[in-house]
Amino acid sequence: MTVVPLFELRGISKEFPGVKALDDVSFEIRAGEVHMLVGENGAGKSTLMKILCGAYRADRGSFFNNGEPVTIHDSTAARKFGIAVIFQDFTLVPYLDIAQNIFLGREFSSRLPGFIDRRRIHAEAKRVLDMIGFDIDPRMPVHGLGVAQQQMVEIAKALSQDARILVMDEPTAALSDRETELLFAMIARLKKNGVAIIYISHRLSEVFALGDRITVLRDGSNIASLLPAETTPDQLVTLMVGRPVDTTYTRPSRPTPGAVVLDVKNLSGPSGFSDINLTVRAGEIVGLSGLVGSGRTEVARAIFGADRVTAGEIRLFGEPIGGSTEISALRGMALIPENRKTQGLALARSVGDNIVLAGLRKLFPSGFFFPGRAMKAARAIIEKLRIATPTLRRPVATLSGGNQQKVVVGKWLNADARFYIFDEPTRGIDVGAKAEIFRLLDGLVHNGAAILMISSEQIEIVHICDRAYVMRSGRIVGELAHHELTEANIVRLGIHQ
Amino acid sequence: MNTAARTAVRSRFTLSRDVMQAFYRLLGVVLLCAILATLSDVFLTTNNILNVLRQSALLFLMASGLTLVILTAGLDLSIGANVALSACLAASVIKITGSPLLGMATGIGCGAVIGLANGILVTALRIPSFIATYGMMWMLTGVTYYYMAGETIHGFPPEFRQLGSGYLLGVPMPVYVMVLFLLIGGLFAQRTVWGQQIYAIGANPVTARLSGVPVERRLVLVYAVSGAMAGLASLIILARINSAQGDIGEDLTLPAIAAVLVGGTSLFGGSGTVAGTLIGALILTLVLNAMNLLQINSSWQPLVTGVIVLLAVWIDTRARRIGE
Amino acid sequence: MSTRGFSLAALPVARVPGVAIVLVVLCAGFGVTSPGFATPANIANILTQSTILLLLALPMTVIIMTEGLDLSIGAVLTFASIVLAVTVIATGSPTLAFLAALGVGLCFGLGNGVLIAVFDIPPFITTLGTLGIAQGLSLLVTDGQSVVGIPRSIEQIYSGTAAGIPFPIIIAALAYFITHALLYHTRFGTYVFALGGNREALRVAGISVRGMLIRVYVFGGLMAGFAALLMTARLNSAHPTAGIGMEFDAIAAVAVGGTSFERGNGWLLGTLLGVIAVGVLRNGLNLLAVPSSVQVACIGALVIVALFIDGMRAER
Repeated sequence: MTVVPLFELRGISKEFPGVKALDDVSFEIRAGEVHMLVGENGAGKSTLMKILCGAYRADRGSFFNNGEPVTIHDSTAARKFGIAVIFQDFTLVPYLDIAQNIFLGREFSSRLPGFIDRRRIHAEAKRVLDMIGFDIDPRMPVHGLGVAQQQMVEIAKALSQDARILVMDEPTAALSDRETELLFAMIARLKKNGVAIIYISHRLSEVFALGDRITVLRDGSNIASLLPAETTPDQLVTLMVGRPVDTTYTRPSRPTPGAVVLDVKNLSGPSGFSDINLTVRAGEIVGLSGLVGSGRTEVARAIFGADRVTAGEIRLFGEPIGGSTEISALRGMALIPENRKTQGLALARSVGDNIVLAGLRKLFPSGFFFPGRAMKAARAIIEKLRIATPTLRRPVATLSGGNQQKVVVGKWLNADARFYIFDEPTRGIDVGAKAEIFRLLDGLVHNGAAILMISSEQIEIVHICDRAYVMRSGRIVGELAHHELTEANIVRLGIHQ
Repeated sequence: MNTAARTAVRSRFTLSRDVMQAFYRLLGVVLLCAILATLSDVFLTTNNILNVLRQSALLFLMASGLTLVILTAGLDLSIGANVALSACLAASVIKITGSPLLGMATGIGCGAVIGLANGILVTALRIPSFIATYGMMWMLTGVTYYYMAGETIHGFPPEFRQLGSGYLLGVPMPVYVMVLFLLIGGLFAQRTVWGQQIYAIGANPVTARLSGVPVERRLVLVYAVSGAMAGLASLIILARINSAQGDIGEDLTLPAIAAVLVGGTSLFGGSGTVAGTLIGALILTLVLNAMNLLQINSSWQPLVTGVIVLLAVWIDTRARRIGE
Repeated sequence: MSTRGFSLAALPVARVPGVAIVLVVLCAGFGVTSPGFATPANIANILTQSTILLLLALPMTVIIMTEGLDLSIGAVLTFASIVLAVTVIATGSPTLAFLAALGVGLCFGLGNGVLIAVFDIPPFITTLGTLGIAQGLSLLVTDGQSVVGIPRSIEQIYSGTAAGIPFPIIIAALAYFITHALLYHTRFGTYVFALGGNREALRVAGISVRGMLIRVYVFGGLMAGFAALLMTARLNSAHPTAGIGMEFDAIAAVAVGGTSFERGNGWLLGTLLGVIAVGVLRNGLNLLAVPSSVQVACIGALVIVALFIDGMRAER
């Protein structure tokens, strides 16, 4: 093993307030290899890649380019070493053509000053596209392309800037099987040209079909570096999920489930889910698991009435419901959305204002608003949920993530909600505060509420939920009763092998 | 929309800051008055002061409805044209039926219907409010000119004219209307569920919707109220100048926008008060009055108003940026 | 990947029917209802009269493509026209006067651009403010009166012909081709698409978003200066209310032409057709003796229909 790696990261550590994202991680990439990077959500894959491309700075650790020590302090430096990331949200301009996008900001000049040499841009683009085997007319505008084709254009854009190391973060997440094949063919061609590829994936089939080497990250540490031939999918799953359980939270016993609170039948919608059937009973926490992009959030939004549905039925406490967030809220449904800051809170408004927003109609049936009564209600919620804020008037933006999440929950407590949908309730919350959120969920069900909880962290689902549904590609592919609820089972159902 | 950027937002729980802001603006009013009093002998005459109050009452009525629209991060550019059409229709109805009450109902009703149309364009057709209401402005102007065909309607019953030029206890009637709507507007914004929801929509429409606020219905309401207030303002003008022409109220849109912004309501929504708009209307009227008294060519007025609008928005933008 | 035979729907060509249908319907309607409509003289008249609007609608297309708006363009045109008239009367030099008008356009364009790009003030409110300023300046300079007594040489620019083609048409054609070249064959144009479509892409590519935005509004101001020349020549005078509301016709033409207010989706040829559609509408209504006030309402309706169609398309 005397191969000098193309690029190497050694002993990388990175800490965010309250979270140790990476702890002494080392990673190397060789020319012409596909290096798979696997691990659960939150294992540190994205952080590591952001450090590689200069978006984050490592707290500790060193970089080596062809064995020479170097530094990466910003994205320009990373680009200089030929490192390019294919972003999920593309940096393409929809109404320019493919060639113009590839050479945006680096247009070839024509002899006329200020003018661009479109012919040369198209010819050069064609050359780059041919290199990756993407047979398309570079004059096509980008907005008409599918996701897969846009991805190809992004890759061509990176290669035209002499990228030697391409980082792809779940590139097949939005691709059809056929498109996936084409992508794989292109990756094979890139390998042959000596380009190194770091490939992040949740799909074990890809990991084994494509990878030359596999690195497993777990809780911010490298757990293993393996060769695909020397491991099996089951071993890999075990390596990925073998995380110690959060010791600060122990699940108390639950009441026996009561009457059916939510009953969803054959629900389909244009936002990408179909034929969803699920029930939630009073006093139980039901998980909705699956990969990011499997349609969980879309289902939650449709149940709450925020998105359109095309078929099916939603019943809350036996009554049909749907299509209006106002009615859902009035009937006692609550949505704690995925993105707290843009969807759950009005950040600039005060803690008090945020807490009373959803319950305004219930608190003031006459339609007249009395600040005193609102303050009192907000104060009661703050005490009940132990929200740490000096005053009610503090803008909610100044609170910590955990306390902000409690404000969102408090908003619905104040509205007397009895059915809660939690979409990734612990995202962006410190490890310590997570247990408190779980206790909050427990408190809710003990008081007779019903909860549907979406989480990308299987361990949370296993730990908190009484049973769980698993989604894949917009459908529910399985229901796991309490005794079947293990991380391995969720991973097996949610990831097609 | 970047909600993290919405910072300088105030609300009932943070009234103290509002009070401070209002205090500074009132201080501005006093300062302006003091300067004007030294510059012009006429300023402190009863006549002029009553005139200023009457003018600001008119501006306030238009701007109060607009305040609600701007609180939701929208804009209503059609209020001036709305005033023109509402005034002309109300004038015809009074002329034809001889009933001031019917005429008043027509004026307010016409304004409200126009506002409703704006609301529908903005919510159902999702046209940006500044474009929808801008198109509405030109259409209304066209309809009004066609309807009036260059004619003037004048001579209304004295009891109607009382509304604009009458006095009660030595105070012009419009001032009473202004105080009445200051109370109604303030109570609506600060002391009703709908008012609270309007602030929430302005601060973050996504959060508002996901908290069970019927965003579309509230928006339609807000545009309808803005239109109705323009209709009401048209009646005051009508009663004051005792005649209706196609270009009545046309040049009041920009000053009304300026009054709202100077009054501390953020163009980006979620923050501001109706009382602040009253102070804004006072400041704007004082500035325009000063130009009058100092015999500055009236052509300076749109220019000065334009500069005031830009300054106010610039200050607002800066405050937001510092907040980040 | 077999994307060679690209689909028609992916190209802006799919928009041709929209504007074209509007145009055909308007022409057919007026052709049937008024006998004077479909005469060569009238058609030449429509085209000549549309030239000033085109000069405003071209930069308006570019500005709207950047998700901006310029409400001040009509007022700037008016003020530039007044400055032009006053200068030519004072100095007797048409060249100097024309440069002065361009200078006015440049100043307002620069002002708009700086306020929008550097001070981060939303375009609609910025240009609403500068509209007030330009209008005020026009009134101030003229005291509300028309400026008359402009030398014949200026008038010639509107009424003259070269090889049988009216000068205004030649100027408008030049302006169209210049804008076309700018938009589709220069870096400026490429970045205009990016300003509306994906500003992040521009930043990643290391292009100054602010600088580009300022240039876009300066372009608008300069074109308003050019339009002022035609306007003054056409009226043989300058009037402080002459160009008021022209920005509305320009926005209408752009919207009817299929340029969207989102994502940098612009189409210059559509704007040309949109301008002709607005011109046909005005001309036809004139022939039917419909008062100009109602014409404004008709154009407004046309815009709302166009925006409605735009919205429907976006939803699909």
